[in-house]
Amino acid sequence: MVTKVISADHAVAWGARLCRPEVIPAFPITPQTLIMELLSEFINDGEFDADFIPAESEHSVMSIAVGASAGGVRTFTATSSQGLALMHEMLYAAPQIRLPIIMVNVNRSLGAASGIWLEHNDSMPERESGWIQVYVEDNQEALDMVLQGYRIAEDERVRMPIMICLDGFVLSHTVERVEVPDQSEVDRFLPKFMPINALDPSDPRMINPLVPPEYAMEMRYQLDRAMDSSRKVISEVDEAFALSFGRRYGGLFDMYEMEDAEFALLSLGTATTTARGVVDELRSQGKKAGLIKMRFMRPFPEKELLQAVKNLKALGVFDRSVGFNSFGPVFTEVRGALSPLRLPLTDHIAGLGGRDLTLEEMRSIFARIEESASGKIERDVYWHGLRGEQK
Amino acid sequence: MYEVRFHGRGGQGAVMAAQTLAEAAVLEGYHAQAFPYFGAERRGAPVKAFARIDKSRITLKSQIYNPDMLVLLDETLPEIEPVAEGLKPEGVAVVNTAMAPEEYDLGISVVTTTVDATTIAFEKLKAPIVNTAILGAMAKAQDFVSLDSIVKAIQDKFGERLGPRAANLNSDAARVAYQSARTGRCKAVRPILQKPQWLPDWDQMPIGVTLPITQVEGVVIGPGSAWQNLVGTWRTSSPNYDINKCIRCLRCWWSCPEGTIKRQEDDHMKFDYRYCKGCGICAQICPVSAIDMVWGVKSW
Amino acid sequence: MSETKDISTMTIKDVPNKDYFLWGHGACPGCGVAIAVKNIMKLLGPETIVYVPASCLVVFGAQYPTSAFEVPYLYTAFENTAAVATGIRSAMKRRGKKAYVVGLAGDGGTFDIGLQALSGAADRNEDIIYVCLDNEAYMNTGIQMSGATPFGAWTTTSPAGKMISGKRRHKKDIDHIVAAHGIPYQATLSIAHWNDFVRKVEKAKQVDGFRFLHVLTPCVPGWRSQASKSMEIARLAVETGMWTLYEAEKGESSLTYKPKKMEPVIEYLKLQGRFAFMNEEDVNTLQRWLCHKWWLHYKDEVEAPPCYIYRAEKPLHMDGDPLHGA
Repeated sequence: MVTKVISADHAVAWGARLCRPEVIPAFPITPQTLIMELLSEFINDGEFDADFIPAESEHSVMSIAVGASAGGVRTFTATSSQGLALMHEMLYAAPQIRLPIIMVNVNRSLGAASGIWLEHNDSMPERESGWIQVYVEDNQEALDMVLQGYRIAEDERVRMPIMICLDGFVLSHTVERVEVPDQSEVDRFLPKFMPINALDPSDPRMINPLVPPEYAMEMRYQLDRAMDSSRKVISEVDEAFALSFGRRYGGLFDMYEMEDAEFALLSLGTATTTARGVVDELRSQGKKAGLIKMRFMRPFPEKELLQAVKNLKALGVFDRSVGFNSFGPVFTEVRGALSPLRLPLTDHIAGLGGRDLTLEEMRSIFARIEESASGKIERDVYWHGLRGEQK
Repeated sequence: MYEVRFHGRGGQGAVMAAQTLAEAAVLEGYHAQAFPYFGAERRGAPVKAFARIDKSRITLKSQIYNPDMLVLLDETLPEIEPVAEGLKPEGVAVVNTAMAPEEYDLGISVVTTTVDATTIAFEKLKAPIVNTAILGAMAKAQDFVSLDSIVKAIQDKFGERLGPRAANLNSDAARVAYQSARTGRCKAVRPILQKPQWLPDWDQMPIGVTLPITQVEGVVIGPGSAWQNLVGTWRTSSPNYDINKCIRCLRCWWSCPEGTIKRQEDDHMKFDYRYCKGCGICAQICPVSAIDMVWGVKSW
Repeated sequence: MSETKDISTMTIKDVPNKDYFLWGHGACPGCGVAIAVKNIMKLLGPETIVYVPASCLVVFGAQYPTSAFEVPYLYTAFENTAAVATGIRSAMKRRGKKAYVVGLAGDGGTFDIGLQALSGAADRNEDIIYVCLDNEAYMNTGIQMSGATPFGAWTTTSPAGKMISGKRRHKKDIDHIVAAHGIPYQATLSIAHWNDFVRKVEKAKQVDGFRFLHVLTPCVPGWRSQASKSMEIARLAVETGMWTLYEAEKGESSLTYKPKKMEPVIEYLKLQGRFAFMNEEDVNTLQRWLCHKWWLHYKDEVEAPPCYIYRAEKPLHMDGDPLHGA
């Protein structure tokens, strides 16, 4: 193990290198590019053996990844925002063909009101693509989730691709202390990839021909069940990871100061870090604040979440993107999961288009949640840091 | 509600026939819908189309499993598809065949109207597009959509797309068919075709939309298993090969899109008629006229 | 990658008997694509992996749970033939598996929507065989015009209207676009010139790197032709200059077949209903363009009677576009 002070992008590149993927197609896009640059350096310096394929677009990146994974080798890639959107069509191929590709998406705002800065509106729309989707909080988790990711994705009960989402700039370009495991440790944790359905002239298979209506529905259900199976595998792998490396992340979601909490925020990504600080602050004032760190948006932990919040008097949800239907996507999912409860729920939208999420804003988010616990709810959704009056 | 199921082959105009019937029914004051089953097959392959007619608004959008009327645009279809399946016992059939109703074996005995739509189509349209002739026969096989309405619908649908001359010729085809159609009760000697099909539960299917070559429930699935599709039933004419004329140039072998002309050790040919679609390329490409196209589904 | 054979003397007789694209597929009677694919697969043999993008071939070649391809087969989308093939190739290399990785794409999937992936893979000189099965329109969706559709041709999106009739632009020269990438081997093929076809596929097998084979494949419903005439139409395409047979190795281009003399294009057009709506002016426009092309390819080596007058007067506009004026 080596301790380094590196960015999340570089942590991811180290994580990828340690997992020994054999094919890495890539296309540059800010703020993902650092990942590909470092992987190219590793390869060109002879430190790491993989086919690095500089494709001419992200659509081709995912096409190459699908071809390589269907060809039976471990495959890694990374993208961001517009690049993810360009891949959209091909994203839908990988889960149904059961290809355990790992892709890091460095979150960045998508579409007009264009910017290169952080927002979750690139990855959130891909929740229904069939990819397992996890959001990380810090650089160590970014590296560790690549390692965990391959073990989850390649598990026989799962065999699905995983999208690891990390916050653009706020994480991708921020250096932090990161423990980089030794190759031998990772080799012990992550078995060699054994393809189950590979293209191979010595054992011919047809993969994804046109599927008539007599069969497609059963295939969808298979994938639905595999997503369900991944819940258990995610927990198991987190435990196995803790045994090997001494770090655990809580599986589908993690909890902070939730034992006796009366009101809490459910957040994801880097916002969670600032929220921890505010919880500490509130606790020091004798207020029973808590925090749920959402990790996996797919599979979505409905039952576990219902259990986790059952003693709360109020829950707030942090959204770094909007659904243009008043609510953010995380709130929409959480509200669906918690519909059996009569729990005051509020949505807190902040930090869009790279707007910095400040400590003051996080305090105001908790203040609103606290209010709602005592029955004062002005509205279902609060925009924090918005200039002008919210209608 | 009156439900009609059409069976034909790609290119014969089953979908257009269903749409024209629906339009004729609307002219009579009914509510109607018509729709195809979008299989992914090409020209010559079996296709299905459906029409529904009712006095009031139709509150069903689903395929038709128990039709009141069964329409076969091709008489050979019962040999390759379970076409008569689900037809109501009191229902009727309309079949494109030169046979009298009593001679035709549908596999279920019902009141049947037969018409030689192919001959009529060749006479009137110079092409085997039999849909308008079959519509004429359909006018005779039921009593709520009249020949007049069907002709009006033909004028409208075909005139719009192909011009007034084509509309008139197609209308003529319908009228001639109406006159020459015969009604009786068909035979039910052959059993309705049962096709073995692999329809596993979701947890019995290999994952990943992936199959190796596998034998399962009487069928072969996976790479190279297409040979179970006996596409030779699509053809309307058949190549007759004269081995004595053959100069073993291999051109027919190269040019057969089906790979159903088999090259022998001595470079003579053997035809596997189970897969010949009757395109006639082999007869065209042969430099010594060793292959003749003969009308009908024949083999030698 | 395979043993070196004397390709120059190969003929139709050297085509293996064993098929890897089998009977029972669902192509229309007389399908040019089926003829091309059947023979390409015979020549490539069992150590082949096939990627097919959205096209007629995806529909008639394999439908779950059956397939006419006896070798490994994959399909995902329309525009990514060269990219998916790149990934498969890379995986085979990493696993030490011997295989030709071949993409069988249509003209729309090559000239238009697949051009970007094609260019990327050609530029990277990926070790794949890219086959373009050119039937000159989007046939699978029901005959819509593509960049490969020739001037004057009817399609459902270039209908014979009262104001505009048929496609108004000439066929895109995809072979020159591909040639600009400097790939190791590329060739144009015709199903009606079988010995030439065999040699080109064999040559492609012997070359490493990106190989591009462009085959003209007549389409019975799309060209509104008789099923029995597919080979004759393919032959006439070459004789009239609508198709030219050549190959290019490492940038050196050479003709592989020279017609004895140029047949008037009307001989080709009259066998196909898609050209039935062309007026005299359009036929002449197409003929002039062909004469120009003919001269570029064959110079004075092959007689071209209708062209002399025209070429002596004034060359066509450089891009050959009639709308830009001659």
